[in-house]
Amino acid sequence: MHKVINKSEKAKNAEESFKKKMNRQAILSFGVCVHCGMCTESCHYYLATKDPKMAPAYKADRVRKLYKKYFDWTGRLLPKWVGGDEFNTDDDLTELMDIVYGSCTMCRRCSFNCPMGVDKALLMRTGRAILTEQGIAPQGIIDVSEDQWKIGNQMGISTDDFLETIEWLNDELKTELDDPSAEIPIDKPNCNIIYAVNPREIKYAPMSLLAIAKIFHVANESWTMASKGWDNTNFGLFSGDNKLGAYMGNLVYDSVERLNGNMLVTSECGHGYRATAWESPNWAARDLNFRIYNVLEIITDYVKSGRIKLDKSLNQFKVTYHDPCNLGRSGGITEEPRYLINRSVSDYREMYPNRADNFCCTGGGGAMSMGEYSKRRLETAIVKADQLRATGADIVATACHNCVDGLTDLIKFYKLKMKVSLVGELVADALVYQKMYKVPEIKPEEITQYKVLVIDDEPDVIMYLTALLEDNGYKTISAATNEEALTQLDKEHPDLITLDLIMPGKSGLTFYHTLRTNAQYKGIPVVIVSGVNPENPGQYDSRSFIYQHSLPRPEGYIEKPVNKELLLMTIEKILELKNK
Amino acid sequence: MLELLQHEVQYLALSIMGIAYISKIFWILHFKPMKERTPAKGSHSKAIIASYFCIALPWTMESTIKKWYKWLEFSVFHIGIAIAIIASFLIPEAKHLMTPNVILIFQIIIAISFFVLLIRLTRRIFSPVNRLISHPDDYFSLFLMIIWFFVAFFAMNMDEGSIFFSSYFILTALLIVYVPFSKMSHYILWPFSRYYFGKHFGHRGTYPKIRQ
Repeated sequence: MHKVINKSEKAKNAEESFKKKMNRQAILSFGVCVHCGMCTESCHYYLATKDPKMAPAYKADRVRKLYKKYFDWTGRLLPKWVGGDEFNTDDDLTELMDIVYGSCTMCRRCSFNCPMGVDKALLMRTGRAILTEQGIAPQGIIDVSEDQWKIGNQMGISTDDFLETIEWLNDELKTELDDPSAEIPIDKPNCNIIYAVNPREIKYAPMSLLAIAKIFHVANESWTMASKGWDNTNFGLFSGDNKLGAYMGNLVYDSVERLNGNMLVTSECGHGYRATAWESPNWAARDLNFRIYNVLEIITDYVKSGRIKLDKSLNQFKVTYHDPCNLGRSGGITEEPRYLINRSVSDYREMYPNRADNFCCTGGGGAMSMGEYSKRRLETAIVKADQLRATGADIVATACHNCVDGLTDLIKFYKLKMKVSLVGELVADALVYQKMYKVPEIKPEEITQYKVLVIDDEPDVIMYLTALLEDNGYKTISAATNEEALTQLDKEHPDLITLDLIMPGKSGLTFYHTLRTNAQYKGIPVVIVSGVNPENPGQYDSRSFIYQHSLPRPEGYIEKPVNKELLLMTIEKILELKNK
Repeated sequence: MLELLQHEVQYLALSIMGIAYISKIFWILHFKPMKERTPAKGSHSKAIIASYFCIALPWTMESTIKKWYKWLEFSVFHIGIAIAIIASFLIPEAKHLMTPNVILIFQIIIAISFFVLLIRLTRRIFSPVNRLISHPDDYFSLFLMIIWFFVAFFAMNMDEGSIFFSSYFILTALLIVYVPFSKMSHYILWPFSRYYFGKHFGHRGTYPKIRQ
């Protein structure tokens, strides 16, 4: 007798959703697997753990079981014979979430190593899609997707904040190039290029946008950014939500049409390029009348045509290149970065394996937004760490902001002596250009002296940061505990706070919560300066914490060891914007 | 009886397989394919060709470079399957072609294939990964093939009175009927899946892969 099982509503809906998602490519990838196991050792999760449950074929089978149960000819009659099964409870769905989100970055390395042509990332994304529709996904994915739906970008940056940041960057650009005509144009019609970026560049990594703006300016490019529809990232790719995928794509495509741009260029963001250039037109069922390029393709053309000149002696480093999965396997950008790095640095060394065979940075597929899986992510990153170590490079260049975060995390975790850089930043540093105009020097007495409260439990760090800030014209005060910091806040009224997260007693996150929920302090900008504890990253996962408590994001986030230029630039930007 | 097994039963089995295969093709085609709406960066045709040839060019995939012996096993036993099927037609329809030399070659290939499949069955049972990803159909298909190769080897002796001779034709018919309903139906799915794989990645310019 058959056991009568009351299926949960979500399980029932997930199965119905699955049935509707079958298209020709999907049924082929679901049906053709012969369980040969050839894909097993292409997966960094398996290589690092040797856990059979991390084998791509096993993970794919957790989704495939629905195909076997409801579509396979034999499976419809004898599901167990061919591995068919169903979802019955919400726990079944949670278990699936752990696999499709927590054990796979959808990097497609296994797909490229499958003799049968199974695109396992497609199967994983199908699994994610049916869960997302039931509201089951890691909190970070849900929150970021919500920001994209509501605000139009993944970091919830308002148009005012966006424009203010661009204005500030304009000042930086003019200073950097000594040229008052240099600018990041906004909403300029009829330009050749409409440039879309990763919101991380606006919020936390403005140097990458500055680098590209510098290159565009020197190349005398006609370009602009749009004040609406400027985010090229797309969490629809990660969550399997094609509607979000289409929505985000349309926002950017609309901006190109509204401004009558000739082409859309995406910044150095792997999934952003893949989603915008290849996937979103399909999700949106939209035929575009303009072409979409990655910024590295454009810069390569500049170099080849002599529009810009590079001097590799300006970058005396040993540099290797990490191919982002969404460019190397899913985007078709492998040679352009190599061409540019070879002309921008004195010592380029290849990483092995590379291009379509490269290993994932371990932060792909939205993994950087999933604090709950950080421990597993970093454990499996040993494969990437070994690959990086073998190059002997000082700098690992990449062309993806997500990879920058993923690589930075693992470099810290495995204590590698390396830094991460975007290709565009290396190119900008190697750029040969004539200074057009000398910006008059501002006398120190003309600079407003801002007061910065440095909160850190380590005396050495306090000493370093206060010295750095004072050398650059700031007044500083410091605190080694949260209690001390509160006293300083009331007494000194600082203009900005740098906050360490890992503190004895109450953590920096608790203090951040106090700051943001107290009317008296919530207007004070905060730059988090912290080395997130790699042994237990979940505990200090600021992103998850902020989402869980519905707090506004910090104005800046700098990782230790501190990049002093980035810290100073971030503080300067925040205070100038606040002053305005 | 033997006559019936060699002709009518085989043709019936082939007809069932043919109908099942044609139905499967129609079934595949009734699902709409995803379409690319962007101009291609690479060549569809080059990528599709490369995609099909990946099984003949083991150096194009890291998995077949590292697990070259698995690729060799795959090649040998697929040739063995082709030989055993061809023999099931030659014996009843063109017996004169089954010369002692041909029989010897067929037996060598079938014997190697038999041992290769034994290795693969052992691996499926004892390798933790292979065991975890295996279902009854995976074991049964392998088991059926092993038995088939075993009787095929002895059937090649052309002794019509032998139990192996009639068993060979019974098993061939059984196998032919079972194929479309088992994992062995990858024969029919594979040309489609490799086609779409090549087309998809060729469109983006990432396939054929650029060599390191």
